[in-house]
Amino acid sequence: MHIDLKKEIKESGPGKTGLTILLLMIAVALLAPLIAPYDPYQQSTASLLPPSLNHWLGMNHVGQDIWSQLVYGARTSLLVGFGVGILSTLLGTVFGVSSALVGGLYEKIIMRIVDAFIVIPMIIVIVLLSAYIRPGITTLILLLSLLSWQGGARIIRAQTLSLKERGHVAAAKSFGANHFYIAWRHIVPDLGPLLLVDFIYGVRRAIFMEAGLAFLGISDPSLVSWGMMMRDALSFSYLNVWQWWLIPTGLALSLTIIGLTFVGHAAEPVIEPRLRGAEIA
Amino acid sequence: MLSKRNVITYAIAFVFILLLNFLLPRMMPGDPLMAIYGNEALITMTPELKASLVERFVLDEPLWQQLGAYFLALFQGELGYSYYYNAPVLSVILGRLPWTLLLVGTSLVLSTMLGIVLGIESGWRRGSRTDRTMLAGLMSLNGFPDFFLGMLLLITFGVTLRIFPLAGALTPYSGLSGLALLLDVLWHLFLPVAALTLAYLASGYLLTRNTMITVLKEPYMLTARAKGLSQRVIKYRHAGRNSMLPVVTQTGIWLGRVVTGTLFVELVFAYPGVGYLTYEALLARDYPIIQGVFLIVAVSVLLANFLIDLSYPKLDPRVSYAY
Repeated sequence: MHIDLKKEIKESGPGKTGLTILLLMIAVALLAPLIAPYDPYQQSTASLLPPSLNHWLGMNHVGQDIWSQLVYGARTSLLVGFGVGILSTLLGTVFGVSSALVGGLYEKIIMRIVDAFIVIPMIIVIVLLSAYIRPGITTLILLLSLLSWQGGARIIRAQTLSLKERGHVAAAKSFGANHFYIAWRHIVPDLGPLLLVDFIYGVRRAIFMEAGLAFLGISDPSLVSWGMMMRDALSFSYLNVWQWWLIPTGLALSLTIIGLTFVGHAAEPVIEPRLRGAEIA
Repeated sequence: MLSKRNVITYAIAFVFILLLNFLLPRMMPGDPLMAIYGNEALITMTPELKASLVERFVLDEPLWQQLGAYFLALFQGELGYSYYYNAPVLSVILGRLPWTLLLVGTSLVLSTMLGIVLGIESGWRRGSRTDRTMLAGLMSLNGFPDFFLGMLLLITFGVTLRIFPLAGALTPYSGLSGLALLLDVLWHLFLPVAALTLAYLASGYLLTRNTMITVLKEPYMLTARAKGLSQRVIKYRHAGRNSMLPVVTQTGIWLGRVVTGTLFVELVFAYPGVGYLTYEALLARDYPIIQGVFLIVAVSVLLANFLIDLSYPKLDPRVSYAY
């Protein structure tokens, strides 16, 4: 695949916007202790205060500083997002590449499992699991990854099938290279951009899910999360606190997802080269 | 296409769902009765009832025998008993199902149709200002989680402008009937449907627009133009119709997404459907309801996907040759 992903993203207007938003969010998450003026977990008696110079976004129902919570919420969202993105892309690569290279019964079994998981609505499964296990953040990342690598594996397998017919792979094979060597040296490097797109969509999906589960109240209650903040804020919708509690939180979450969508969409011609030229920068 | 491949896929999915539902409560540490029936049950249960339930699900026997008993109960249409609602799970869920079907059905139809039309128009004018604005706008909209869209609508039109109701599916104790009742239902339905439609509009739009761009490069588009057909005919009958095909294959997957989206949106609007029921059950740890909802929703989505797969070759005969 001779498509320069960097160029592809840089040449698209939304791609650049998305990347900027994303880098900003990552910076906020990494520098959270420097940016947040208060401990987001520190409760006080000053509950439901409107914004002031000391507390930019006011205080929530148990007297925690909302701005600090918002900043730390980015950490939870991005941690789950990137954790699931990395793991599910890894699983997708392992199963996608191996099934294409090994073929036979192994490929058939893997692909039927992949297809089966694509048609099962994932959130429902997660809700059932969470109802019983009440997952912490690590368990959540593992569960989401196990349930979401299948779509990527399908695309990666298709691409590997075409890559393995190329001359250099045949040459390596004739020198006696085994599957593992071919996968590592010849297939995976060429899959690069595709894996990045798969990763971006994995991150996006996971951030959505984490927020959704926290909103339903079945995530780790000891971690600040945007979904949880919105859930708390909604229960006070009869007051005017939504202006500085609900809206900024929802916007932070949406902005993160929009950033990922823009980057992903700009990189999409990697999966579907026929779309090239569809975007006018 | 009823291929062997499809049948196997759905069989695996079905077995996975059943096994998950069977194993999860039984693998939990502690009393399995508690995991199957929830806290509420153990308080109200008499020792005799407890014993009869242990016997019914042969909980004192090895796992494989329990599996047999579980399937037997399932095939008799028995989804368990909710001690929280003091009613059989099936009747509790069936009571809520019509509201969810109304919500999901309306939103799915609206978002798909609107998405297709916008996608055709946008793809037709690709690169133009309209196209770019629509693309950026809808992709941004795609970033808003359904429940946040719901909250924004609720706060704008419900709390601030007071045009639409804040919660529920009907005005309580209004005693309305006939046309007035229908209007009341639609009035309550409007905001939840708007939230779901807006949240899922972008998928259909993006897919149609993408296909439209590839279809427009086909030679038959040139022929259509050369024949001197009108713009509208070329756009909708020649390009548009062919751009709709991938949308149909995706509808099954979207159905799954809209169903899960409903879970969140119903919670925002306190809409009394299956989603809100799930939320209540999660709060009360009413496990029989959670399991019943899981089973019914997952199996319905599978069934819908299966039917869509079956009908697809009729829409696009090219698919049959591929097998």
